[in-house]
Amino acid sequence: MGPQIQDMQASPSHGTGSREPLISIRDLHVYFTLGGSLFGKTQIVKAVDGVTLDIYEGETLGLVGESGCGKSTLGRAILRLMEPTSGEVLFQGKDLAHLSKSAMREQRRNLQIIFQDPYASLNPRMTVGQIIAEPIATFHLARGADRQRRVQELMETVGLNRRFIKRYPHEFSGGQRQRIGIARSLAVDPDFIVADEPISALDVSIQAQILNLLERLRHEKNLTYLFISHDLRAVQRISDRVAVMYLGKIVELSESQRIYAEPLMPYTKALISAVPVPDPKIEATRRRIVLQGDVPSPINPPRGCRFHTRCPYAIEACRDVEPALVEIKPNHFAACIRISPEQPNIDRVAPGEAPGLRGQLD
Amino acid sequence: MNAMSSNGKLLSVRNLRTYFETEDGLVKAVDGIEFELGRGETLGIVGESGSGKSVTSLSLMRLIPDPPGKIVAGEVKLNGDDLLKLSPAEIRDIRGKRIAMIFQDPMTSLNPFMRISKQLMEVTQLHLGHHRAQAYEHAIDMLEQVGIPDARARADGYPHELSGGMRQRVMIAMALSCQPELLIADEPTTALDVTIQAQILELIKRLKSDTGASVILITHDLGVVAGMTDHIVVMYAGKIFECAPTAELFAQPGNPYTHALLRSVPDPTAREQKLYQIPGLPPDLAHLPMGCPFAPRCERAEELCHREFPPFVKLTREHYSLCHFANEVYAQANAKPGK
Repeated sequence: MGPQIQDMQASPSHGTGSREPLISIRDLHVYFTLGGSLFGKTQIVKAVDGVTLDIYEGETLGLVGESGCGKSTLGRAILRLMEPTSGEVLFQGKDLAHLSKSAMREQRRNLQIIFQDPYASLNPRMTVGQIIAEPIATFHLARGADRQRRVQELMETVGLNRRFIKRYPHEFSGGQRQRIGIARSLAVDPDFIVADEPISALDVSIQAQILNLLERLRHEKNLTYLFISHDLRAVQRISDRVAVMYLGKIVELSESQRIYAEPLMPYTKALISAVPVPDPKIEATRRRIVLQGDVPSPINPPRGCRFHTRCPYAIEACRDVEPALVEIKPNHFAACIRISPEQPNIDRVAPGEAPGLRGQLD
Repeated sequence: MNAMSSNGKLLSVRNLRTYFETEDGLVKAVDGIEFELGRGETLGIVGESGSGKSVTSLSLMRLIPDPPGKIVAGEVKLNGDDLLKLSPAEIRDIRGKRIAMIFQDPMTSLNPFMRISKQLMEVTQLHLGHHRAQAYEHAIDMLEQVGIPDARARADGYPHELSGGMRQRVMIAMALSCQPELLIADEPTTALDVTIQAQILELIKRLKSDTGASVILITHDLGVVAGMTDHIVVMYAGKIFECAPTAELFAQPGNPYTHALLRSVPDPTAREQKLYQIPGLPPDLAHLPMGCPFAPRCERAEELCHREFPPFVKLTREHYSLCHFANEVYAQANAKPGK
């Protein structure tokens, strides 16, 4: 019994069949220090606290969680826009987390990011043409008329009229600015893009346009995405697999259809039930799990399972045992001691029981 | 002054027009809208940015910055009193007392330098003539009602010491302090995480049934209005494009814009090849096209739509749609239930 469970805990990387991971994140930690002056004592924020995750070539991996859960930090740490404290990020045989600064700069050609706020992430003093051309120049990919032609092609690819090449960011709407940001990230022909809340600042009708654009580009350019969002509906729609993050840890990981249809871990259940459905008939009848309280601070996260302070299913043991991410069903991983591969449905587990505990204690 | 309005509704808005002078020209942010709200009912106003939904709520409260804005026409009757005809002193007396408002970002309405208790006390001292001790107890009571744990201790803290969800609760406590007849909530949960959003929506529902207040809920999120409202008004380019009882609007929309909005929400249970998208961009209010403002983005649009402004068509007793082809769209929506 014991060894069997141990095996299944091995790694959440055995995900989508025989495909090769493009990025392998191994036990990644990102800590920051806070304060030290005003409040005297230095505090440590454990933004990402031991994440192991594979991102397969050509897939969109959705990363969801509430503010402060560490999802953006994880995305940025992969690209070294934030420095990892420990752990590895393997990409094409190299560990990005330990590359020198200059070696990492070279790698940025392959790894790009799209930001949430297209107002803040574009230089207001540069024209659209200059913004998109900049990375092409930085990596010496093209020059002169060739570069110009490439910029125009990119503008057309993302649905911007090439007549606008001499205009400035403020002359565009939010959705168009997001297209500029996408064109810029595509300029270097990357393999991997971190899309960090790319639609959160946009209107509903424009969100669908950007989601469809990202989806089309993925197929055309053979891209791999880490799609970070708090919007479960959008994440589910665009992702092949979804990882749920809570206070610095991955708590559930599965194919996106499955995670939505049958979430295993209580936090994921609550998260999905909290999303309002645009259908009054469903809203009138469904039972919503309303979690008590706020997300605890990542400065001093709860011991044991980090979700136990808000979890309606928590028992005594949840305060002490930190749950591992276990393969509860094939390719469906969850971190909760109250479920196990034998008893995956938490509502059927006897009160006080922790079937997942047996494996964890071995 | 206190005569009931003829139809017995709490709020009745007629031909409201709020315009702004801008560098680009005259922007008709709200352009001749009409709706009513019964006692104890909740009305959802749905729209994208620039639709005029927030300007509508600010107009009801007479909070339009002038210049550049001005309410140029209309009637806003609260229990028969036309708010647009009141003196500044009279409207101040109504704000916070009979109509209260909560905003998306609580920090814009809470004073960061003032203790939470003091901010709540000011409202009842001003409007209900509470003396200090009475106002303090009332403040604590309100904080407890909105579910602030350990309210007595928290009351003497400052807003920055609270999380976003807790601040929104303080705002709601403040808004409901004088038992207003009408609560206007402008994107009250947009800045919050989904699990906190669920808490706040449940709270608004509970307080509404406890106090009998009417609520106007302004949001871009069709999911939020689906479970919270009795009626919905859909706005686009300063106009009401559709209004209907909530269940009917979702089951059988009579306007192509509403229909398109509903289709562009990602549905986790469906797996079509491509997510439906509304083409084009929201309109530039300073340079609206001739004819229907949605026509350039509309699947159903014909030559007529680009030429003539559409009529506001009555579909059923409480269901109206601004569209040349409203009857057709409505009939077709019925043929395909759900979507």
